[in-house]
Amino acid sequence: MTVLETTSDVEPEAPVPPGPEADDHHVAPTAAAQVQRHLRTALRWAVVIASTVAIFSAFLLAKGADPASVLESMWKTALGTPDSAGETFIRATPLLLAALAAAVPARAGLFNLGGEGQLLMGAIGAILVANQLDGGAGTWPTLVLMAAGGAALGALWAAIPAVLKVATRTNEAISSLLLNYIAGLVVTWLCFEPWKDPASLGQAYSRELTGPERFPIIWGQRVHAGIFVGLVAALVLWALLRWSTWGFKLRVLGGNPSAARRAGLAVGGLSIAAMVVGGAMAGLGGMIEVAGTEGRLRPELLAGYGFIGFLASWLARHDPLRCIGAAVVLGAIAVGGSGLKITAGLSGGAVNILMAVVLLAVLGWGGRKAEAAR
Amino acid sequence: MIEAVLTGAVAGGTCIVFAGLGEIVAERSGVINLGTEGSMLCGALAAYAVGIETGSPWVGVVAGLVAGAVLACVHAVLVLHRGANQIAVGLVVSFLGIGVTALFGQDYVGQGVVPLETWDVPLLSKLPFLGPVLFQHDPLTYVSFLAVPALTWMIWRTRAGLVLRAAGEGPEVLEIYGTSARRVRWVALLTGGALAGVGGAQLATAATLNWSEQMTVGRGYVAVALVIFAGWQPIKLAGGAYLFAGAIALNLQLQARGWELSRYLLEALPYVTVLVVLALLSRRRIHGGPAALEKVFEG
Repeated sequence: MTVLETTSDVEPEAPVPPGPEADDHHVAPTAAAQVQRHLRTALRWAVVIASTVAIFSAFLLAKGADPASVLESMWKTALGTPDSAGETFIRATPLLLAALAAAVPARAGLFNLGGEGQLLMGAIGAILVANQLDGGAGTWPTLVLMAAGGAALGALWAAIPAVLKVATRTNEAISSLLLNYIAGLVVTWLCFEPWKDPASLGQAYSRELTGPERFPIIWGQRVHAGIFVGLVAALVLWALLRWSTWGFKLRVLGGNPSAARRAGLAVGGLSIAAMVVGGAMAGLGGMIEVAGTEGRLRPELLAGYGFIGFLASWLARHDPLRCIGAAVVLGAIAVGGSGLKITAGLSGGAVNILMAVVLLAVLGWGGRKAEAAR
Repeated sequence: MIEAVLTGAVAGGTCIVFAGLGEIVAERSGVINLGTEGSMLCGALAAYAVGIETGSPWVGVVAGLVAGAVLACVHAVLVLHRGANQIAVGLVVSFLGIGVTALFGQDYVGQGVVPLETWDVPLLSKLPFLGPVLFQHDPLTYVSFLAVPALTWMIWRTRAGLVLRAAGEGPEVLEIYGTSARRVRWVALLTGGALAGVGGAQLATAATLNWSEQMTVGRGYVAVALVIFAGWQPIKLAGGAYLFAGAIALNLQLQARGWELSRYLLEALPYVTVLVVLALLSRRRIHGGPAALEKVFEG
């Protein structure tokens, strides 16, 4: 195997979890080795975090801002008080579902970069159902139907690149990416024209969802029951991927598509199913955002969440349980971004640097591990 | 109306032509670079800001070129030296570009641009119809007209082109002949980033004449999509780029004429167009591409 091979390396299933496990093939798992292993993992993460903060600080210095005060205000906004920690959790929920939307297809070796569009379609689906019901059902039936509507529309949006992939071999990464822009314009259209709230005047947004159409608040002012939906979804998917035959088949497909084909697996059907399940997760995320946090559709709703979710999935190496942690970390950074805007007067988009550098460090580190594992 | 649409297609398509030509160079060497979107953004901001600071749009264009190439370095290091996944890294690199330009671009929002002036080609610009469509643009557009045949010639008729294609088709063979495929891919990725940077520069200082966060709205990704649709051929890529920009121009014309359909839905038309042609042509295209890329696509 030449060095060059690694450049065309697709590592869909991420066989090597973070940490030096791959080095330990011929080391007996003694207690001492275990401790050493965890220490090395911790050390690596410390290096990743320290270098990320250093690079971000360098950018801030170049901009003429004071890194210490900026980082402090970001920390305070994201985790400083119970209320801000709650904000991080409600922000992490759609991120978690967007991460799952990328993780399930990634198990099958597919790239779903369309999380953004699928989130938005989920939000639209939820509001469509709410408008149909018109407050005529109880809280839980309403929410369940809205969730079903959101998941269905998200799944449908993800089915487009999946079917195109299977039927015409269109690269699903690129088609799902393009669909994000189309979904964004559909949302803008709904907000400005058919669904425009008459009270919104110059701004454009849809009517506010109320009563049974909203998740009950469980803590503080804004933390709603929707966060449990995300956690349950992650647990269910984790169990499915780990223990069901379906999960096993996806792993085979992701690991070696030609072997999967020779083994008689229905590759096309499995690919479509993986994308559709992913899209349903994102759709659910969009539903939670409108029925929980936001209460209405706005053109800039969830902007960037699909991409951050994709990053979270890679950070978690496509493991649904690890996605929870990754979503909370990236959610905290995203919330910190609003602190950046308010207290330091910097553009909130600058936190993308922080997220990107973390991910680049993790991707670079994982790449070499995959190479070493061969 | 046809004249206005075609003129708009050329004016708006030029930035995608540059980015797409860069992506062709990168993909011919066997690496897909979704960081093109980020390189375009960095190029756009660098050209815009440096143009304002120095008063010279041309210094700005050079800055855009450098900025695009610098961002592509990140992709090159991770993909070529760390063996990281190309599609994931590309997307993250674009994300980095969005972040960096959001941080540094903030002060330039709403500032007056130092534009790249249009320059009418003598005599040719006086032609009826063809004159305004092809010969009344900024100088970078004429550069792109020349770059398309030049790159085609380079790929198929020069030794550099042969080495580039060899890196994408059979890197092992290249190694046997004593050329490092990794080095070829480095050069290809830097060239690609630089061209995307120039595309961004053209977008900010000649086409839209302003700077705003994420102003490329996916044009870099569209360029990547068009490269596949074009079968890695520069001339077809240019056609695709003008098709995308033509759809934007058509939409503006329809709005001006009080068309019934919502303008927001019409704005989706260019993306739908690219998606549809990509789907229609993909089955034929995938095997025409560099062999090393097929591995990326097919998993």
